[in-house]
Amino acid sequence: MGKRWREAFAARTVSVLSPALLLAGWELLARAGLVDVRVFSSPSRILGTLIPALLSGELLYHTWVSVCRIVLGFAAGALPGVVLGLSMGLFPFVRAALQPMVAVTFPIPKLAIMPLILLVFGLGETSKVFTIAVGVFYLVLINTMAGVLNIDRIYLDVARSFGASRRDFYLTVALPGALPMIFAGFKLGMGTALLLIVAAELSAARAGVGYWIWRAYDMFDIERMFSALLMMSALGFVFSYALDVLERWVIPWKPPSSSAG
Amino acid sequence: MEAAIVIRGVSKVFAGRNGLRVAALEQIDLTIGAGEFLCVVGPSGCGKTTLLRILAGLEQQSAGRVEIRSGEPGKPLTSMVFQETSIFPWLTVKDNVAYGLRMRRVPPAVQEPIVEHYLRLTGLDKFRDAYPHQLSGGMKQRVSVARAFANDPSILLLDEPFGSLDEQTRLLMQEELLRIWEAHRKTAVFVTHSIDEAIFLGDRVLVMTARPGRVKAILEVDLPRPRDLVNLRSQPAFLDLSRTIWHYLREEVRAEEHAGRKL
Repeated sequence: MGKRWREAFAARTVSVLSPALLLAGWELLARAGLVDVRVFSSPSRILGTLIPALLSGELLYHTWVSVCRIVLGFAAGALPGVVLGLSMGLFPFVRAALQPMVAVTFPIPKLAIMPLILLVFGLGETSKVFTIAVGVFYLVLINTMAGVLNIDRIYLDVARSFGASRRDFYLTVALPGALPMIFAGFKLGMGTALLLIVAAELSAARAGVGYWIWRAYDMFDIERMFSALLMMSALGFVFSYALDVLERWVIPWKPPSSSAG
Repeated sequence: MEAAIVIRGVSKVFAGRNGLRVAALEQIDLTIGAGEFLCVVGPSGCGKTTLLRILAGLEQQSAGRVEIRSGEPGKPLTSMVFQETSIFPWLTVKDNVAYGLRMRRVPPAVQEPIVEHYLRLTGLDKFRDAYPHQLSGGMKQRVSVARAFANDPSILLLDEPFGSLDEQTRLLMQEELLRIWEAHRKTAVFVTHSIDEAIFLGDRVLVMTARPGRVKAILEVDLPRPRDLVNLRSQPAFLDLSRTIWHYLREEVRAEEHAGRKL
């Protein structure tokens, strides 16, 4: 036990020390003039910008705008993704009808259709929300369908032999059986949403973390840019934590061993 | 005895890969009485499971006629206990047992006492809120048995339900199944590859031929109920029957072995 405890302690110490060392090294190199602070800044300079930006509420406002777009876009993409994914998984006919379109449109980078989205939805909120929705939709759809197809056939037999209706197939077999994969899709979708928000806020945005980053770039204000990057990192952490909590709550039957980490 | 299931000239042909057609069942004629416990033995791949699946409505026969006479209107015809683990991992023990009732839209107030009855009868009452991953293999099959009984079908279909359990657990489960069955006396069709199990449980034992499955012999099990499974093994009647069944089965198993191919 002593050995294992010591190993765990050493691992934890290293996890704390390595980023601390990196930051300290960065700071030292910046102060020594070995790193160009005009491009790479330094931890102390970034903190000096980040804290006032947070306290004034300015950064939080822009974060809030982005969070709203992400949450709306995520919901607008995930919901139809789950419904269609379940249908495509359950019914070979639906799969045969939709699979070709999904296969052809999925590989198109979502950033490449942004100009089209702007043409269709204009420069307002809708185009940003829609961009995120499209990115999330495909990942959730494909994972949900795979989740249903991976459900052991025996459960479909059981449902059939007990006289399950079509609705019962959705709600008592396909949905719960695919939930672990659906959540895998949610997590991938969330990563994509964070990627797309920055790009979506590049064009014709008046607020948002992405807008903040591009503005900082225009003004060559490296510290403001890094502050926003830190905020993005925090957002990613919070969203993935929230999804983990939601997953544990929605999938109580999942053995704890596989949900660890 | 009144007939519960009448099977006439039933055959089943599967369309295999490369357009190969595989005959699973050939010309099955069988009448199963109401309240009878029929056990089916046969070499692996002889179509025992296919026969059950046809009775359960999960497969359609290629030829012939199957007639299942329902005891009471409104009751489901059949409920099946599957060979592999088939209880839903996402439902608690209680909800798994209630599944058939829920699918039939039985009001929750009516479900409750039925589910409780079978939870108690199968010794699962302490685990009613557990999820399947927290249960042993034997416990899981108990849930599967309770689920089938709770649905209150006219006919119970059991497909090697204890096949994957260890010897001791299996003996325990056989005793429990008999106890529950004797309390309700439903028509039961039980598929197994174990001769002992077939004699322990059945009123009659149907021996099937190697693929394509046909009726090789039907033997009466003339042993009084309730049966004491431990002492049964040493009774002359048991040993005789066991020998007879093996005599029939042996040629078929050998035929299957010599065919030397899997599907």
